[in-house]
Amino acid sequence: MKARMQSSSSSSSSAAAAASAAAAALMVKQEFFEKWIKGLQIYSSFNKEMTVMERKRAIKLSADVAIAATRSATTRWSRAVVADVSTSAAGAARTAAEQILGRKLAERRALAATCSRRIVRRSRQRRGKAAGRGVVRSSAAIAKKLVRNRTRVLKRLVPGGMKLDEISLIKETLDYIASLQVQVDVMRHLAAAAERLDHQQISI
Amino acid sequence: MEPNVEAVQPQFRSGISGAKPGGMGCVFGDIHGLIPGPPETDGTSFTALLELPPPQAVELLVKEDFPAKPMPPPIFPSNIALIDRASMFSVFASADNPPESTNILSASSSMKIDSVKQEPLESENQRNSSSPAVSNQSLKSIKRKEREKKVKESSKKSKKVGANEASDGSGEQLPYVHVRARRGQATDSHSLAERARREKINARMKLLQDLVPGCNKISGTAMVLDEIINHVQALQRQVEFLSMRLAAVNPRIDFNLDALLAVESESSIDNSYLGMFPPSIWPEGQINGSRQQQYQQPWLMDPPSMGRVDDTSNFITPENSLLSYDSPANSASLHSSQLKMEL
Repeated sequence: MKARMQSSSSSSSSAAAAASAAAAALMVKQEFFEKWIKGLQIYSSFNKEMTVMERKRAIKLSADVAIAATRSATTRWSRAVVADVSTSAAGAARTAAEQILGRKLAERRALAATCSRRIVRRSRQRRGKAAGRGVVRSSAAIAKKLVRNRTRVLKRLVPGGMKLDEISLIKETLDYIASLQVQVDVMRHLAAAAERLDHQQISI
Repeated sequence: MEPNVEAVQPQFRSGISGAKPGGMGCVFGDIHGLIPGPPETDGTSFTALLELPPPQAVELLVKEDFPAKPMPPPIFPSNIALIDRASMFSVFASADNPPESTNILSASSSMKIDSVKQEPLESENQRNSSSPAVSNQSLKSIKRKEREKKVKESSKKSKKVGANEASDGSGEQLPYVHVRARRGQATDSHSLAERARREKINARMKLLQDLVPGCNKISGTAMVLDEIINHVQALQRQVEFLSMRLAAVNPRIDFNLDALLAVESESSIDNSYLGMFPPSIWPEGQINGSRQQQYQQPWLMDPPSMGRVDDTSNFITPENSLLSYDSPANSASLHSSQLKMEL
């Protein structure tokens, strides 16, 4: 990757692009940070004292909603994240999410979808058995099976990925990875700053 | 892919308490300090764009490359990949640059040897564009160019592309994609459709490969998918750990940002002032202490990802930090206009 980019003819334009790209990245980080802090403040206005687990949950939820909000519902994963929150939301969480997004969340009831998954799995297994197993097929078939398994795993990882086809799944994954990176960066810097502050205050 | 430590020049003045919603505007303006400036890339647009969510990447690339036309500049493959990725995301994220994105695609696609790969991508962009006529013309011109580059079979099929790509709100769809069969390949509609689909998937996989670090050398969809899965899982795990760290480090989660700046000045992230923390009494000091020991373990196992920035961080039991401060109104605070950012 580095070798490719070292050509001089592209370096000047890429340097300019890099500067403006980084500035735009900074904008997204700031937007995420603002929304995140907004959510946290709403949380703390609800209950002053929280246990560590409650705090962690509040922090994570606010961060997830905030990073989904930076996409403003243009991507499927952001819509799925917001839908998850609205489904499994308590009072404070719900209000925080609504404030971050700036809109009301629809009231939902959690669906019980577990039994259907078992049925689908059983039918798939039966189909595999009927096709004949124990025989090592061609390498292409093995590769296909690997790809299929991993695609399934990826679908589970990306929020809202279960109903996507391969093509859209890859697109969503791209966007999701970029947003996760932003989230991790901002959270890490905040955590480092907070710990340093803590350290400093203790050493005083 | 992680941003290095930046040297950001902050200057601040006092007076903001973050608890007030009115003061929030100023505080948020000062976030510039906390979040480091543009990460140290290798001076390339690519790694910069790696930090970048796609919509902004689209705008950047659009602004960058549009003046460079009409003749396609000598774009290197990585740029093409970026432009492709950016143009792809323009489908989802912002439909506001359709003419430019299609033009960019036409410029980049003329550099590509594989014409069939481009056409599905272009068609996807054209779906959201309000000028299908323009893009059709550019498509035709590209096809003419590429006819000189390789020998093809003369058969030409058209097929419908509406089904797979669900657009968000634009109802415009290009009904047919003209796909050219290559030499020595079957020309029935099924295999053509499958091949177009396969090439679409491969193009996007390539973009994903560029995004995930360390995927460039791997060949083969299964391995690349493996790496992608690992990367996503690692990022999600990091989010969990970081939220636990943040929960443990302070008793109240509404970060009062003033003190952060003061701390940051001495840190390796240097000069990113933000604000002061609510240095308040730890009401649950006893509980926190025991729990912190438990939570230290998973964090200590996650050093590689968090190593660089946090060399001074320790896990300190909160019982020691029984300092109580007044509201940091009198402490150092900041003016947003004073903060400078390295861009």
